[in-house]
Amino acid sequence: MSDRALQDDVIRALADAPYRKSAAWRTRGLADPDRVERFARFLARHFYHERVVHFFKYSRALARVTGRMPDAGAAIRYLGDLLQYEAAMMVVEAGPRIWREDPESGGEGAGSEEWSAPETVEGTVLLELAYDLPVVLPELLRPWSEVPQAPARSTKLLVARSPRGRVAVARSTDAIAALLGLADGRKTLAELAHGAGLEVRELEQTLHGLVELGAVRFSTGS
Amino acid sequence: MAALMIGAFYNPHLGAELVRADGIDHLAMADPPAAGDPHWPAIRARYTLLLHDYLGQLSEPLDDRSIERARTLAELYRTPWVAEHFQCLHTVDGTYNLNYVFPPLYSEDFLERFVRNANALRARLDQPLVMENIPGFFDVRASQLPEPVWLRRFFDATQTGFLLDLPHVWLEAHYRGLKPERWLAEFPLDRVVELHVAGVEEDKDLAGPWIAPAEPSDEMLGFLAHAVTRCPQAKAVTFDAFSSSLTAEALFRSVERIRETL
Repeated sequence: MSDRALQDDVIRALADAPYRKSAAWRTRGLADPDRVERFARFLARHFYHERVVHFFKYSRALARVTGRMPDAGAAIRYLGDLLQYEAAMMVVEAGPRIWREDPESGGEGAGSEEWSAPETVEGTVLLELAYDLPVVLPELLRPWSEVPQAPARSTKLLVARSPRGRVAVARSTDAIAALLGLADGRKTLAELAHGAGLEVRELEQTLHGLVELGAVRFSTGS
Repeated sequence: MAALMIGAFYNPHLGAELVRADGIDHLAMADPPAAGDPHWPAIRARYTLLLHDYLGQLSEPLDDRSIERARTLAELYRTPWVAEHFQCLHTVDGTYNLNYVFPPLYSEDFLERFVRNANALRARLDQPLVMENIPGFFDVRASQLPEPVWLRRFFDATQTGFLLDLPHVWLEAHYRGLKPERWLAEFPLDRVVELHVAGVEEDKDLAGPWIAPAEPSDEMLGFLAHAVTRCPQAKAVTFDAFSSSLTAEALFRSVERIRETL
């Protein structure tokens, strides 16, 4: 086994608890098991703490109200939507990513592969909310005395992760929701356009945007 | 030794205070400025900025996109040097990663990889490259060389600078049961361009001290004073704390105490 493969084995042991407990890892005797276990737990706690702080920053901005008023929920009617939104951001971000471009690949993004057989990327989330959160989110992070309010109107948000791990949020529509449900890597553009109720040209524009967000990719070799 | 610059990390939540601050010579940049950061233009205009972002791990060659990103940030910051870490934190295929600094095996194979890839990166940058030591909480039995020897050979082969993180050395000495000064003496201190100093705190998972965005203790500042006298090429000392939990008081008091120490 190469040194690089050994390093990968150590990284996997730290990141993957079932592997860390396996005979395959333990019999190798590469490092003190107690130290490895402790460091792995430290890494996991660090990972979640960092993400909770980042993705739940809006809830944190509301904490001075929610922490002091027993009936705060009534003052913040969109709190359920907000928690759903923050949780979705955290889960979407946690997926695998490309750390380094394969020099033999054509890169990422729209236009890098043939426009055939689009497929919704695993982990893409479509949120259906009762409140228009994008209106209130920036307000929450600015100084305020009265709790900022979100308009009560049905809102669809798309949360996606680019191959390099950038999480993006965009407003969605019924057509986009239908498209994401249909894009399975096998249907043609014409079939998707028909299913989503879009003109082909309109579909291509929409797909372009979805690829840039990381919500859709194109299968190769089909 | 020329006068040392004393600085800190740019913590965007303290942007307003940093714009008005006295006694800080430079700011290290761990992340690019946010698009809506209202303090960034003044920070950029006022401070010497040090590029200290994640550029990539040098166990593999950096791809063109990563190098272009490094060049763009270096130009934006007008940085006097570009920093990266001795780290290998994701698998070759990207399936597993640690989201935290983690050292490579100190082996001949990894030395050759880091030398080759650091030289390739250095050739594409307009500024000198400096590399920061990373602490290990446990030894991996496949390592072949003591870390300080591995680092010495790396610096000799690349002519890069050494960003000496003192708490990292202190922690390794602690977990090896050595005096920090004795462990420090093993490192190639003649290559040091910049030093990092910060506090350490007890961590319940590790059941011992670890890196924390905390003020340096008197002991750590004493260690800094000792180290600086052995780093003849050092140009800067940076308070190494980057966290949304860091207060302005802790940052300014730490920089002031570092300045008093030196």
